Amino acid sequence: MIHKEMFLSVLRTSEVLFVFPKASPKSLCHFPKHIKTRTRSYHSSRPQSTNTKPVATGIRKMGSIQKPKVLLIGSITHAKEEWDALKDVADPIVVKSTNRSDFLAEAKSGAFDGVVTAFRSFTSMSITGQFDSEILSSIPTLRFLCQNGAGYDPINISDCTSAGVQVCNVPIIADDATSDTAIFLMLGALRMFNPCMATLRTGEFKGPAFKLGHDPRGKVLGILGMGGIGREVARKAGVFGMKVQYYNRKKLSEEMSGGATYVGFDELLGTSDVLSLNLPLNANTRHIISTAEFAKMKQDVVIVNTARGPVMDEAALVESLESGKVRSAGLDVYEEEPKIHPGLIKNPNVILLPHVGTLTYETQKAMEVFTIENVRRAVEEGRLNGLVPEQAHLAKS
Amino acid sequence: MTKPTVLLLGEIDHAHKEWNALSSIAELIEPKARSREEFIQECKSGAFDKVSVAYRTFQSVAITGLIDEELVAVLPEGLKFIAHNGAGYDQIDVHACTKHDIRVSNVPTAVDDATADVNMFLILGALRGFNTSMIALRNGHWKGSPPPPLGHDPQGKVLGILGMGGIGRNLMKKAAAFGMTTQYYNRSPLSEELSGGAKYVTFDELLATSDVLSLNLPLNKQTRHIISTKEFEKMKKGVVIVNTARGAVMDEDALVKALDKGTVWSCGLDVFEEEPKVHPGLVANPNVMLVPHMGTWTVETQTKMEIWCIENVRSAVEKGVLKSPVGEQKDF
Repeated sequence: MIHKEMFLSVLRTSEVLFVFPKASPKSLCHFPKHIKTRTRSYHSSRPQSTNTKPVATGIRKMGSIQKPKVLLIGSITHAKEEWDALKDVADPIVVKSTNRSDFLAEAKSGAFDGVVTAFRSFTSMSITGQFDSEILSSIPTLRFLCQNGAGYDPINISDCTSAGVQVCNVPIIADDATSDTAIFLMLGALRMFNPCMATLRTGEFKGPAFKLGHDPRGKVLGILGMGGIGREVARKAGVFGMKVQYYNRKKLSEEMSGGATYVGFDELLGTSDVLSLNLPLNANTRHIISTAEFAKMKQDVVIVNTARGPVMDEAALVESLESGKVRSAGLDVYEEEPKIHPGLIKNPNVILLPHVGTLTYETQKAMEVFTIENVRRAVEEGRLNGLVPEQAHLAKS
Repeated sequence: MTKPTVLLLGEIDHAHKEWNALSSIAELIEPKARSREEFIQECKSGAFDKVSVAYRTFQSVAITGLIDEELVAVLPEGLKFIAHNGAGYDQIDVHACTKHDIRVSNVPTAVDDATADVNMFLILGALRGFNTSMIALRNGHWKGSPPPPLGHDPQGKVLGILGMGGIGRNLMKKAAAFGMTTQYYNRSPLSEELSGGAKYVTFDELLATSDVLSLNLPLNKQTRHIISTKEFEKMKKGVVIVNTARGAVMDEDALVKALDKGTVWSCGLDVFEEEPKVHPGLVANPNVMLVPHMGTWTVETQTKMEIWCIENVRSAVEKGVLKSPVGEQKDF
């Protein structure tokens, strides 16, 4: 139960601050049944934001109580009810601008004054571009940025930390849909389904160039990046009889890794039959897979990428496919979406999806609900559930 | 003592070593015939009179046509065993074979993984609605304009398996990893151990309560068009159907109509009623995922299958019994 303590402070403009002291954590709610039954404990795995002192989240003006402002950058598609329900504790503002310069002008006009919490949708990249210090300076009151996505590469986390802004993303919820996509792409690439699926549509059934595929059973799957998604790919691949090994910034416990073997980066490249990219994109991981890495891989390796296009050098991939070093690839992401290297488009052996990794009704809704919950938590309790790993030092120890 | 003769109908693609090893215990011969007429003539000419065992492939139907009463009647008297390289053996009229004292084997188990894998690929492809996106991308339209409707997650969905044989049971384990609960209809309920805890339901309940319906039953007189107009009407609106069994267990035209009406939201098919012909209503539908009968087409599985079938031949030659007789002849 939240106890409100009101402190009247006589200011020149007769403003009153509503102060909310730290409250006990609320339980997560509103998730589809299957997410509730997962045994992984969400609370224990992510850094919780600290709230050691009360945070001012509302301003009272001229005798009427104004609710704290929350900013929607982008759009809400499924959880409109949940977003509207925020009106009982906050005043939602929607960004009207559709490009970066208009956004900065809109901010300058005072439209975002007093905004402390923002919901940033995946599609808002076209509105603000990179979420960096310039954008942050335009909303100086911002303290909480809730990213509706597992990936958050468009947000400059160190700029946010410097500006005193805490950032949360959506862990766990995207794991299933993304790993399901990875398994689909892996099967499609290993089994060589794409060429004959294409010839069927032209009236030839299997077609003259149809190739025999390979079974996953007994093959070595190498996972680059053993986060939530990587671990789910590992678990599902295991059921198809694959042996799993991984490279990660740090080695995981036996329990967490599900028995997968921890190997060095070069060993991952040199001994994997299938390589799945499941790492976040940042300054350290851009083009982590490029010409030199393809040279170290096994002949006829199969590559799957559901992470971010730029972790792999797309032109180098095309070269390796053309030389036959890489037998096939399954891709959901590309370096310069929506542009795709023409060498991929005209290659029938690869199976290509247009970044649909989490595009299911159930996952999209659950992600929006989760992020709106964090917006509410920021307003009511002055904290977020699940800061991004780079801000772990801001969390409770 | 003269070695028995084994007739090869079709090709050996992978297990050359194992096939050639048979030459120490048998004469290996192949037909000259390239059509059913020619084959019947060749039988009548006495060319195969010494044959006691035949190895046949699925594709050899291009030479012999179906192994039906007409064909079985002209096979040499001494031919007592047909080792079929495939799980599905609907090309063979087993009843006619039994009448003529011919024992038939198929290849179970070795096919389970590869078939269940393509089955799972099709379930994901259809549920997630991937095909529309894949086509839009290749046509240069990225996600498509307008983008297609969102797909669905398998987690929490009910998978109904029609035919809980080796392939159905293999599929269930894989589907469970994606959070699907399985229920099944089978000629008879399985033990708890075999069924892995899946719920045994009636045929009508399977139709009415499954979110995804997977066809994993053999094709025979009883199962032809077991899924047709009436059955589509009993299914949940928006059901997803996957077929890796045989095309003819489902009425393809009725399926197209059900897709057009929206009763069936999407489907994933590896098999078709009149392969290699595919109903134009399916080819033209971007929302369905279609694979041209690739169920067991991997280097590893094709090799395993050939070896299994060759072992049936060896067992027939050396012991006078087949290793894996078809179900209908288990008590023969």
